[in-house]
Amino acid sequence: MTQPHLQLDPITVEVVRHKLDGIANEMESTLLRSSFSPIVKEGMDASASLFTIAGETLSQACAVPIHLATLIPIVERLLKDFPLASMKEGDVYIMNDPYLGGTHLPDIAIVVPVMYRGRPIALSASMTHHQDVGGMTPGSIPTNATEIYQEGIRIPPLKLRDAGVMNDTLVKMLRLNVRIPDVLMGDLNAQIAACTIGARRIAALADAYGDNLLTTIFQELLEKSETMTREALRAIPSGTYRYVDYMDNDGIELDRRIRIEVAVTVADGAIHCDFTGTSRQLKGPFNVVRSGSQAAAYFAVRALTDPSIPTNAGCFRPVSLTLPEGTLVNPKEPAPVGSRTATIKRITGCIIGAFQQALPEKVPADSGGELLTLAFGGRKPDGSGNFVVGELIAGGSGAAIRSDGVDVVETDASNCMNLPAEALEMEAPVRVRRVELRRDSGGAGKRRGGLGLIKEFEMLDVEATLTHRGERHFCPAAGAHGGQAGAPARSVIYRADGTEEVVPSKLVTVLKPGDRLLVETAGGGGYGDAALREPELVASDIANGKISAEEAARLYGSAAE
Amino acid sequence: MVEGAGDKLQLGGNIQVGVDIGGTFTDVVCRSSDGKVRFVKLPTTRKDESQAVLQSVALMAREWGIAAADIGRFAHGTTVATNAVLERKGARIGLITTDGFRDVLEVGRQMRHQMYGVVLEGETPVFLAPGARRKEVRERVAADGTVLTPLDEDDVRRAAAELAADGVEAIAICFLFSFRNPAHEARAAEIVREAHPDLMVAVSHEVDPAFREYERTVVTAFDAYVKPVIDRYLARLETGLESSGVTAPLQVMQSRGGLMVSSVARQRPVRLFLSGPAAGVIGARMAGEAAGIEDLITVDIGGTSCDIALIDKGRALVRSEGVIDGYPVRVAMVDVNSIGSGGGSIAWIDRGGGLRVGPQSAGSEPGPACYGRGGEKPTVTDASVVLGYVNPDYFAGGAMQLRPDLAEKAIRDHIADPLGMTLEQAALGIHRVLNAQMAEGIRLVSIRQGLDPRRFALMPLGGGGAVHATALARDLSIRRVLVPRHPGILSASGLLSAPVEHEMAAAFGRSVADSNPADIRAVLDGLDEACRGLMARERLDGAAVTVRYAADVCYVGQSYTLEVPLAIDQADALDRLYEDFLVDHDRVYGHATRIPARIVNLRAVHQAGGGGAIEGVMEWRDGPAEKGTRRLLVAESSGPVEAKVYDRGAMPPGFTFAGPAIVEQPDTTTLVEPGWHGAIDAGGSMILTYQDA
Repeated sequence: MTQPHLQLDPITVEVVRHKLDGIANEMESTLLRSSFSPIVKEGMDASASLFTIAGETLSQACAVPIHLATLIPIVERLLKDFPLASMKEGDVYIMNDPYLGGTHLPDIAIVVPVMYRGRPIALSASMTHHQDVGGMTPGSIPTNATEIYQEGIRIPPLKLRDAGVMNDTLVKMLRLNVRIPDVLMGDLNAQIAACTIGARRIAALADAYGDNLLTTIFQELLEKSETMTREALRAIPSGTYRYVDYMDNDGIELDRRIRIEVAVTVADGAIHCDFTGTSRQLKGPFNVVRSGSQAAAYFAVRALTDPSIPTNAGCFRPVSLTLPEGTLVNPKEPAPVGSRTATIKRITGCIIGAFQQALPEKVPADSGGELLTLAFGGRKPDGSGNFVVGELIAGGSGAAIRSDGVDVVETDASNCMNLPAEALEMEAPVRVRRVELRRDSGGAGKRRGGLGLIKEFEMLDVEATLTHRGERHFCPAAGAHGGQAGAPARSVIYRADGTEEVVPSKLVTVLKPGDRLLVETAGGGGYGDAALREPELVASDIANGKISAEEAARLYGSAAE
Repeated sequence: MVEGAGDKLQLGGNIQVGVDIGGTFTDVVCRSSDGKVRFVKLPTTRKDESQAVLQSVALMAREWGIAAADIGRFAHGTTVATNAVLERKGARIGLITTDGFRDVLEVGRQMRHQMYGVVLEGETPVFLAPGARRKEVRERVAADGTVLTPLDEDDVRRAAAELAADGVEAIAICFLFSFRNPAHEARAAEIVREAHPDLMVAVSHEVDPAFREYERTVVTAFDAYVKPVIDRYLARLETGLESSGVTAPLQVMQSRGGLMVSSVARQRPVRLFLSGPAAGVIGARMAGEAAGIEDLITVDIGGTSCDIALIDKGRALVRSEGVIDGYPVRVAMVDVNSIGSGGGSIAWIDRGGGLRVGPQSAGSEPGPACYGRGGEKPTVTDASVVLGYVNPDYFAGGAMQLRPDLAEKAIRDHIADPLGMTLEQAALGIHRVLNAQMAEGIRLVSIRQGLDPRRFALMPLGGGGAVHATALARDLSIRRVLVPRHPGILSASGLLSAPVEHEMAAAFGRSVADSNPADIRAVLDGLDEACRGLMARERLDGAAVTVRYAADVCYVGQSYTLEVPLAIDQADALDRLYEDFLVDHDRVYGHATRIPARIVNLRAVHQAGGGGAIEGVMEWRDGPAEKGTRRLLVAESSGPVEAKVYDRGAMPPGFTFAGPAIVEQPDTTTLVEPGWHGAIDAGGSMILTYQDA
């Protein structure tokens, strides 16, 4: 088709921006479509991104916020190990090591240079959570790991393909170190396919606009987003804002609470998050490498500034982090990092929480902010093999200045679906006895915190191993501006022999036939003084079963009359 | 606008009428037995939509001399169900569930759509039945269908009495595993009906017999919510038609693209959500068929959104679960995807000095600035006026006089001056940005289906699409655009072409390898019987009924399914099912492996009649097609171009022309960019083809 006559004008820049977003979406769609493992297809735990040759994000498509900007440290590291001048058509790079820029070992990054007339003009990248990368347990997220070596195979920055020729040595190494090599290779191929589509479409853009104009537009887009972000940050009152929250434990040292402390300084269009005061690194796998804290900070900036600002590295330029070495936000090797999601969720909550005073309109009270992770595994009753089912259960969200929290909803860095009772019962010898909103669990306030969930399971005719990874059992979601804390989470095992065991947030145990597990997830914090809640809202909460009449009288006093 | 008015019709045959109600206009298409087609647009009567339908009967008699008694088929596309949800005007309903599962409706799947939001809003349809109107009864069925706890009938009576006392009009009943064993649900429904004969009842194993309790509860509750509304509406319409002398049965379009008689629709109202769009897709498919094009991407650009649908090898893609107002509704519907940009999308300048279009829209009130109804913000339609694409004196066939001065002022004040551009550059910029946005949206819709957009033809549907069609096609590397003779009435004409269809599904839940054709046949026999029962209520006059079967199949362990045709009476039916599943899986998901697959649901679809596009019988006027020339600015040229302006009504089959050109007709305006060649085919469709320079 004809070569158009275009110059750098705001319209062409905007057209190219839509193209870049569209390309990232097409890459992501290809990735989700052609991946094999359920965790990608159903959990959408994968993302695609375009980068400038300087390693700055141009556009990104992800379905889970925890992936936001998570490829940045990887691309930076790759560019160090493989200079641009060495890149060739047909090259594919791979890495996953958290200590070199990755996240946790199941997340493998694939990067492809976009070559145009013999030189790289951009980078096309993707990240997928792989079903298994070896290590001490199937699925490669052992909750009891104490060293990264137990978590799977570590891949430094390497060429998976060199000018079109696959690196067979590496492929053989990878295949031998994982439990389901065909699935690993299938998902890696999906990643390569997605990156190749991105590269092909960027090259087509260079054909349409000329490569020099195109890369000039890339810079313009980054600068515009930077300008807009700095301007939005200037609208936040300058100052240093602090927040502290705690996680229950690391699954190894059950009585040690984990402190997360952040001092967020906003000044002159920039934002700095200093984690000094945060707990030293953990024995268990809840440590987080830099990419995770960065994703949390970027999420916060994205959530608290103008949502219409196009997301690219320009938005991230004003953000900096201090991550003290040896703490759980910057652990030293070989600390395990596999179960980092719970920590990233809490870090995100802390950064956002720090703005409660400065941005009372935008920032809600603390959320339950937990994603209770359960796994039941054992032999099928008919002896036909094993079953393993996972279940992810959210708590309530925090109330905001004008709205109650939402009951049982995914918040901050994660966004996963729960498992239908009918799906669970068809897959495993487990019965779901009830699924109920947890009455009285929302923090009281002028605006009430969202409720947690009650779910009760009964083990049928076989034994099963239960893995229970909770949060907010000991440290409830705080209220804001006079609102009260939400109810802490609570889980109890009622054994068939009549004994009861309270779950200390993290637990691996065996359930016998007839044993019941009752889980109650945390409620969100309330916002504002409960005495100011409108009586008709209290009455409606009572009528709809969200609070009991007794608790209403106790918490809302005359408002409940 | 009335076409064909004045010349009285020679009667004596079977007259077919299609009436589609849209937000602004009610479209009526009428075909007589000699194939002659007429149509008219009436303003939609929002207070009672049946009024416009009845007015159309009077109008047909007055203008065309059609006696109501000569109408042999009356097919209707309605937005009543959708509007009841969007405007929260459905019935007050109650929900009865298994003990312990009252809150399934409110908990949902716990995901959020506002991924970067921190102040969240609930995303489950609690408005259907808040906690106080959800009641539990003791009963429990296990995953294999065995009864663990017998139904407590007193609980059911008590729950129904409480809900009735609370003033509900309808009750939804959803018990766990009722798709495996419906006995408890059926008995509970019976008890409710006996005790409260005035209440309507929706039962989950009848509405949607498939696993996943949240999705089944939602669709059942929606069924109850719209049932009284639809029932009243269709009853009113039936009575009105009857008293107007129409003896033909009233048929209503379902979301998946088949008609059903009104009395059945009143019992299965949740199948009406996409009634109008489904008719549009059928109309598009028929128009494509008449032009010999069976791979189509239809683009319906309205005021606030753009609806995209795919027709692949002559088959409109159907999805098993749709979304209404953000809520999942698990009922089969034509796969229409909405993106949030349209003619009313507002152009604005962001704080970084970039030109943005949407997502805010001026809608139809106040509408674009050029409507002169007080809108001051520049919209895409204003840009079309400034660029000379749309004739201000001939908008909607002259029904509305546009104000170019207001369009110019809006674009100059808000876009051109702040950016230091000329008015025309700014207007062209608005089009370029919108087109880039829409093209990426269209690309994604087809990529997600595993289909390469380049092998499709683009078809603008409705009035707003044709002005963007060649620009979108160019961006998508699509080389062919099909503009039907009357894109503005494709929904109404689709009603005339659609078959009568009844569909029934049942959960099956066995691996393909463990399934035995006799067991499947037994399930299908039950579904066939139910479909035949529904078909018997249609007055088909002996029309042949075709029966198709399908299975929803997935790999063992997967949770999403693909609908695969099932030829159960062939010897190797299950082998073929598996092989076809692999082929589909490869197309949609990019790979297929020979590992065990599971049949989740079985489905029977009974169809009768249908066919007969209205394309091919359209008329044209004698006289010159060329109306003059207009200077335009288009995206691919550095300066203004001289475009010929054509009158579509005077372009006979065989007529050819080249872009740049504007083709005007009462229901749409087509912009033909430079590089495109146009031809009118034998049936009156306009085919635009891109030719490399």
